[in-house]
Amino acid sequence: MNMLETKGLYHDFSGLKVLFDINLQVKEGERHAVIGPNGAGKTTLFNIITGTYKPSKGKVFFKGKEITGLKPCDLCRIGMGRSFQITSTFNRLTAFQNIRLAILSKRGVRFNLLRKVDKIEEITRETEEVLKRINLIGERNFPAGALSYGKHRALEISLAMATDPELVLLDEFAAGMSRDETHNAVALIRKLTEGKTVVIIEHDMDVVFSLADRITVLHYGRILATGTPDEIRRNQEVKDAYLGDLEV
Amino acid sequence: MKNKIINWFLWVGLIVIVAIIPKVFGAYYVSLIVTFAVFAVLSVSLNVLLGFTGLLSFGHAMFFGAGGYGTALALKHIAGLSLLSSVGIGVLSASVLALVLCPLVVRVSGTAFAMLHLAFAQLMYVLALKLRGITGGEDGIGNFPIPPFTIPGVVSFNMKGVPENFYYFAMIVLGLSVWLMWFFTKTPFGQIQVGIRDNAKRIDYLGFKVSHTKAVVYVVSAAFAGVAGSVYAIFHNLVSADGSLGVLVSFQPIINTMIGGVGSFFGPIWGTAIFQILEEIIVRFTDRVELVIGVTLILVIMFAPQGLAGWITTLKQRFFSASSHKLEKIS
Repeated sequence: MNMLETKGLYHDFSGLKVLFDINLQVKEGERHAVIGPNGAGKTTLFNIITGTYKPSKGKVFFKGKEITGLKPCDLCRIGMGRSFQITSTFNRLTAFQNIRLAILSKRGVRFNLLRKVDKIEEITRETEEVLKRINLIGERNFPAGALSYGKHRALEISLAMATDPELVLLDEFAAGMSRDETHNAVALIRKLTEGKTVVIIEHDMDVVFSLADRITVLHYGRILATGTPDEIRRNQEVKDAYLGDLEV
Repeated sequence: MKNKIINWFLWVGLIVIVAIIPKVFGAYYVSLIVTFAVFAVLSVSLNVLLGFTGLLSFGHAMFFGAGGYGTALALKHIAGLSLLSSVGIGVLSASVLALVLCPLVVRVSGTAFAMLHLAFAQLMYVLALKLRGITGGEDGIGNFPIPPFTIPGVVSFNMKGVPENFYYFAMIVLGLSVWLMWFFTKTPFGQIQVGIRDNAKRIDYLGFKVSHTKAVVYVVSAAFAGVAGSVYAIFHNLVSADGSLGVLVSFQPIINTMIGGVGSFFGPIWGTAIFQILEEIIVRFTDRVELVIGVTLILVIMFAPQGLAGWITTLKQRFFSASSHKLEKIS
């Protein structure tokens, strides 16, 4: 079964055409990368899938059900998580409080007005487990805005993951990271996404070719090719348009 | 554990002090403290919106006024109404007003939210002046009967003419309101609320409905502003457009909150206290109270933008760097 599928997706921003006839299929359990030059429409595609925008034309399916036009909060509740290219955490809240919000959502604790959140032990315990897994337990009480860049990005990725989604979309998670940080982030993502379906947008070709099972290349709003890393590497069109003589 | 015991002592001490004030001080100070408590609750209710959800309202007076007019009208027209039900009706009017407005106001934030509230509050102000048949116009509603506080078959406290009794009643109602609001900010729901202040987009992507959450916070904030307005109306045995719905009633809690500290729960209470003490002192020297208050506000914004609460936290961090984990408390 396809975890995620788009059929004939078109999008334009008041006349500026960004996406043309996008038919994307992401199989259950695979790690799928979307690559392409700047302005190819990758983030727009993400924004349509996760409900930020409504497509001008076309449909999106998640686990076989149509989800076109659903809101981000509805999509999160049926099992979709997303991280952002520009880090988007709760900067004045501590790392602990950040993750706790995701855990509250995962457990469906929303309109609870009868208990203090600090006193709900299951939630505290689970939040601390997540912090341990992502090596942020030492920064438990740091405001998210005061974390180092790498740790802040790790928090961003974990926020998308902590609601325990079946499908995770990661938008350029390694952007701006150093070699070491990228290396750690890849390891973290491997660890956290075990058994999940993942779609990533990434410019770092080392990351893409080491992490992805399948790759889709976007070029000026069109899908140029889809295939395994080897197929993409050998594809002449992709070489001409994007990869060039890059040795990957 | 040790902290817990100290905390308990502080609370018991506070309650004892509040209880003996009318025995020690005269009627003037008793009424001053009731006024303080009313505006403290109004400021805290505003801060639930401003500091905890990031929504600045320039028209919080309309809920204060709705509470006041609701209670006054109920006491004037319904014979045999008990004191608590009259306060309840005030709270209900404020909440209903908020419920009616919330489908519109949860869609906006920032400047639009602030200005929309200024407009609605002014509308209520004009309505209170123009609907003379109901609201008494410029004279307001005064001299309505104030029932005694009764627990049927047990006790009955006369409220009219015995400021001491009313003082205790007001302190219990207002104290309970502050405690309820404090608890509200500590619940899981309160956490989601703070999340909206920091990053509404992320809250949406985490699966919480931003507009629903805002609506609940909005109604809760309005209800407690209604409590304050209702007690204020009974306290003066009068409710008037200028005293309860005027623009200054909207700005007063904002100033209190700024002085005390936006985002700190108890900040607005400190702010209200400072403001009132300042006012008490200033009127002894000059009539130009607003001038001095205005200068104070400018100084606070320039040198302590987080208000008194933020300033104290900064000092603590500077001198006891070990307690840097207190950072958590600001949020």
